[in-house]
Amino acid sequence: MSLKYGVLGLLKGEPLHGYEVKNRFEAMLGGTWDVNIGQIYTTLQRLERDGLVRPAGPRGDRGKQLYELSPEGQKALDQWLAQPDSGPQQLHEDIYVKLLLAARIANGDLQGMLARQKRAYLQRLRDLNRLEERARRDGRLDLARLVRGALLHTEADLKWMDELSSERFGTEGAKTE
Amino acid sequence: MDGRIVVGTFRDGGGENGMSELVRLTDVTKVYQGGLTGALNGISVSIEKGEFTAIMGPSGSGKSTMLNLVAGLDRPTSGTIAVGGTDLGKLGEAGLARFRRDHIGFVFQFFYLLPNLTALENILIPAQLMGNVATARAAELLDQLGITDVADRYPARLSGGQQQRVAVARALINNPMLLLADEPTGALDTHTGEQVMELLAGLHRQGQTILLVTHDAKLATRHAARVISVMDGKIVDDARLESPERAPSDVIRVRTEEVSR
Repeated sequence: MSLKYGVLGLLKGEPLHGYEVKNRFEAMLGGTWDVNIGQIYTTLQRLERDGLVRPAGPRGDRGKQLYELSPEGQKALDQWLAQPDSGPQQLHEDIYVKLLLAARIANGDLQGMLARQKRAYLQRLRDLNRLEERARRDGRLDLARLVRGALLHTEADLKWMDELSSERFGTEGAKTE
Repeated sequence: MDGRIVVGTFRDGGGENGMSELVRLTDVTKVYQGGLTGALNGISVSIEKGEFTAIMGPSGSGKSTMLNLVAGLDRPTSGTIAVGGTDLGKLGEAGLARFRRDHIGFVFQFFYLLPNLTALENILIPAQLMGNVATARAAELLDQLGITDVADRYPARLSGGQQQRVAVARALINNPMLLLADEPTGALDTHTGEQVMELLAGLHRQGQTILLVTHDAKLATRHAARVISVMDGKIVDDARLESPERAPSDVIRVRTEEVSR
């Protein structure tokens, strides 16, 4: 996701300084997000340069600067929110390419690879289930919703493994063209 | 792969003195006349006491056949099935029916409650067949399953979730050593299905051995620490899943992109 719009979205409610933006982000995403404070400051500076945020009042304690959304920033955020995520499906896990390559190289039985991947997905489903339970128990609905999305995605990955298994993927020999 | 996934070492549940075997299938084959659907082809597997095991597989894979054989509802073409040390193949029809009634609880997708009996009467049937008056046990189950206030209703006046609770209570009235569930959430909406699964999970925490057939991997992995995958009548995987507490970022990670330029 875009850090730029994430920051704009958090500034929508009230002016915040960089460290608060990071904390709000972490609270919302429940520790599933790995951006450091340096990236937040850089992002805020660029957003200020582009006129999307502006300082709210003078620098305070230890040079802390509050930022608020500018009217342009508000407009950019509204447009981003209104825009559906389209464009290509993002496939960034190795397995997509790994399976295709292995089918060419091994030129044979991929059932073992599919079975191992399937197990990994089952374990991930279990981990996600436990995380969702914990999030709900702790009243962290944002995180629970995020985990639910991840659960359904992993379920789809698992179904893909089953489909490949049942079509005896790999055993027909990989086409080289 | 990052090495965090270790399958085959973790064992869930079990008694104080380690594991003891409750179910054993040895080289079990089931052939159906006129088709391969649901057939089993040389299955061997052991289920430990106290385990919550899920059997997964596509329709026609043989997963329900496996459950029906363990329940003694059907007999294998070859191979042996032992439940609680009893070889089911050595029992005659009456003996098998008695064994089912006394030791096996079965929950089905479509409840199968008798329409002209109340919820309570449905629950009491298996006990009455044993000649037991089990009203105290029934009251306990009604309370545990949260259906005390609908005990005198007929099935037609119960919601799907309530009907399945009644079916679970009926399955448990004789304190079975083994609870079998074939797609118990299949006819329920997501929320009600989760409640029924929570209920099974609660029973498991109290020590109930459960064998669940499902096609829902989310539900299976939520409650069962062991997942057996069946395909074309064979066991293709038997995974014992780990249950450690993981930091959220070790389970999912949201990626961010920095502002360009």
